[in-house]
Amino acid sequence: MMVEKVRTISKKDLDAFVDDLIQSDKFEVVGVKSKGKSYVFDDLENSEELELEYDTTILPPKKYFLPPYENMMNYDLKKPFNVEESNGGKPRVIIGMHPYDIIAIEQMDKVYQDVKEDDFYTRRRKNTIIIGVDIEKPFSRCFAGSMGTHTTDSGFDLMLTKIGRKYGVTVGSKKGRKLLHNFAKTKKAKESDVKKIAKKRDKVKDKFECEVEVDKEDWPSVLAARYEDELWGKKSEKCLECSSCTMVCPTCYCYDVEDKVSLDLKDGSRVRTWDGCLLKDFTKVAGDEIFREDVEERYRHRFFRKGCYLPMRYGFVACVGCGRCARACLPDIADPCELLNNFSDVDPTGDASKYFIDRSAKMEDEGVIHVPHSATIKSMQKLTENETLFEIEMDDGEPLGHDPGQFVEVSVLGVGEAPISVSSPPDDSPIFELVIRRVGNVTGALFSKKPGDKVGIRGPFGNGFPLEEMEKKHLLFACGGIGMIPARSLIKHVLQEDYRKKFKDITILYGCKQPCEVLFMDEVKQWGEVPDVRCELTVDKCPEGVCWEEGEGLITDLFPKIKLDKYDSKNTVAIVVGPPVMYKFVIQCLKTLEIPEENIWVSLERRMKCGVGKCGHCQINGVYVCKEGPVFNYKDVKDLPEAFR
Amino acid sequence: MKPRVAFFDFSSCEGCQLQIANLEEELVDLIEIVDVVSFREVMKEHSDEYDIAIVEGSIMRPMDEKRLKKIRSRCKVLVAFGACAAIGGVNKIRNQWSPEKVKKMVYGDSSEIEDNDYFDVFQTKAVDEVVNVDFYIRGCPPVKSEIKKVITALSMGKKPDIPNYPVCVECKKKENECLFEKDEFCLGPITRAGCDAICPTHGSACEGCRGLLKKPDIECISDVLKRYDLTYEELKRRATIYNYGEKVGEKNE
Repeated sequence: MMVEKVRTISKKDLDAFVDDLIQSDKFEVVGVKSKGKSYVFDDLENSEELELEYDTTILPPKKYFLPPYENMMNYDLKKPFNVEESNGGKPRVIIGMHPYDIIAIEQMDKVYQDVKEDDFYTRRRKNTIIIGVDIEKPFSRCFAGSMGTHTTDSGFDLMLTKIGRKYGVTVGSKKGRKLLHNFAKTKKAKESDVKKIAKKRDKVKDKFECEVEVDKEDWPSVLAARYEDELWGKKSEKCLECSSCTMVCPTCYCYDVEDKVSLDLKDGSRVRTWDGCLLKDFTKVAGDEIFREDVEERYRHRFFRKGCYLPMRYGFVACVGCGRCARACLPDIADPCELLNNFSDVDPTGDASKYFIDRSAKMEDEGVIHVPHSATIKSMQKLTENETLFEIEMDDGEPLGHDPGQFVEVSVLGVGEAPISVSSPPDDSPIFELVIRRVGNVTGALFSKKPGDKVGIRGPFGNGFPLEEMEKKHLLFACGGIGMIPARSLIKHVLQEDYRKKFKDITILYGCKQPCEVLFMDEVKQWGEVPDVRCELTVDKCPEGVCWEEGEGLITDLFPKIKLDKYDSKNTVAIVVGPPVMYKFVIQCLKTLEIPEENIWVSLERRMKCGVGKCGHCQINGVYVCKEGPVFNYKDVKDLPEAFR
Repeated sequence: MKPRVAFFDFSSCEGCQLQIANLEEELVDLIEIVDVVSFREVMKEHSDEYDIAIVEGSIMRPMDEKRLKKIRSRCKVLVAFGACAAIGGVNKIRNQWSPEKVKKMVYGDSSEIEDNDYFDVFQTKAVDEVVNVDFYIRGCPPVKSEIKKVITALSMGKKPDIPNYPVCVECKKKENECLFEKDEFCLGPITRAGCDAICPTHGSACEGCRGLLKKPDIECISDVLKRYDLTYEELKRRATIYNYGEKVGEKNE
């Protein structure tokens, strides 16, 4: 624990302290104020406005750390690439945070200051002084008592506790002590005061009307035991799909990003705004596919994220029992206390670990994470009707430093960002290749660019293919359609002269819908000419009159051609990349070949927006595709219900 | 070349076009990125050569329908502008009665309106009930931020990103007290967002001017209404202002 010292302050001196803080003009001073019949955190004009005996606020104070709308960067569209990161404002003092809200901010620290620290968040966090207050009168739907979040020993700079007509002031940090020293008239607390504070805190627990009957530690296993429960469907029938529950939640951190341009198209900014997993478009990708379409699944996802996925990842239940969602939800189906109590007699024996993969991303934990680096389009080569090969050069002259299978976020200023797999092998040059399919706004805008134009690049992100585990093995590639794009990065890498001898025979199976969709036909043919490399091509159907000399049929039809004797199964690594529908069938073929599950690697695609495991869009059960993937070991993901769909 | 833009109005108050005029100094920015070739409220000139047609108002008469089809044939992109154009809006209230009855209610038995195209009305239609609409700028009137968003998107060749979720999302971000909590009636939970919850933010209930969402369904809404001692009939009545004939809270897909 930090320097803890207890002092006392009279109500009059507390008011003077608040007024002095406001008048000093050194801080933006915010605190709890009334708004109609409710309370909100808002700018304080004077101490009279401050309400310390409130029940709860409409929005939690997360809005000061992750604002509902946050300008991340500004850019000048008239210049080739001119981006300026937004900076934080004045230091801020927040007065009146309840313990559960303070704990929620501590949880948010873990998420936003995890690998790839969010610089906007950290700047705000460092710039904020938190003055908490112990709960006097809890909100009727609050169940913090049974979550152990009704009091806290950490996370605050100062903590106020009402004792009689004065307040106890617990100092939680040097920042807090300095603030008191500079602005407040306090007295050293007497032993009796310290006892009173302790007694007051002890009694808070008895004040709550709601109590969750499932032990916090058991939430993950209880929920895991009830993943398929009919309750999800029954409750979600009433869901308005408004995501009010996530908007008001102190532990919901997901956001969306939008580029805004001025009416004269000269300037623009990139803004992030709260998003909610209950909203249908939350998982929508550029091709308009929605991965979590049913309201039942979205409804369940929210509870699992709080009670199972984040606990598995960070070790805490991401619900602090504030009860705000219970109030905001008009059909009243969002309350975790009420929901968990439906499961109070469930044995905590579910296997929560199967929804989570303990694997860190290969990311360097430094530098700004949201501002793209400037890069130049070197060349564009049309491959098919919909796909074009872009050669991109980083303007700083440094190589991208990617592994085969990793992806980058490509920015077109004024339009937005899209995750794109790198399709060239790693090398020392600053130039790399992307194959882009025209599906949405960003890719559409890329197609209208010409060589010499600038784009923004963030990344590389995620985990690529595990090269070391593939060494001394036979490699079997099964690629469907645009799955060839990330696979090509690995194929070209292993075919390089220096690397070729590290691997045994290589077989490449490649299937497309029709001949006009085949990517890199010439390269594929060349690969097949390398000794001990075999390429098999097929199309689902060849239209009449089209010249096609390769196979016709599904990619699974190519498997019988593989000679089992040559491919000693245990020494074969399979790399499967393709549309979701392909995986099930190809994996069945690999099982027939007796290739062990742990030798199968797959690459998944979701709505990867931030690339750094923060925005929440690419989450499949407890796994972030952008962070733990996009390349996964099949064994790790085969039991994730949301992985192959 | 800058895209050529023309504004057209059908049955409406022309308040939506006024919102464009209300852009004030930003109007200068607007004409930097587009050529306005026709805009009755602010200029005398008119041209039939345009790429983008921005259409305000609902379609009430066969002659309107003819005119709208001509506009569609001349433009590359057609934008339904404002509630009357996008969903029929207040003009649809009169669809509760037959056109004949409406005529009689307004003009009595006057014979002067017989065989006069100007008075030959049918049931009110939204623009997309007559021609194909590429984009919508919703609301009564539309908010300036969305007007700018759609116009900039169109001139950059991108698809504008318009919310597909209820007003509640924006209302929560504004930290408004929920009107239901104050026992007031609000269409926010079933109305498409994008207005930044302007009405609830100023203490008035949402009236559904941006159109209703396809979901949630009736059982769900009825259940909520019951909790707040409100009725489904009241909901339907409120929704009539902008959404007459819409299946309020019914699965219409």
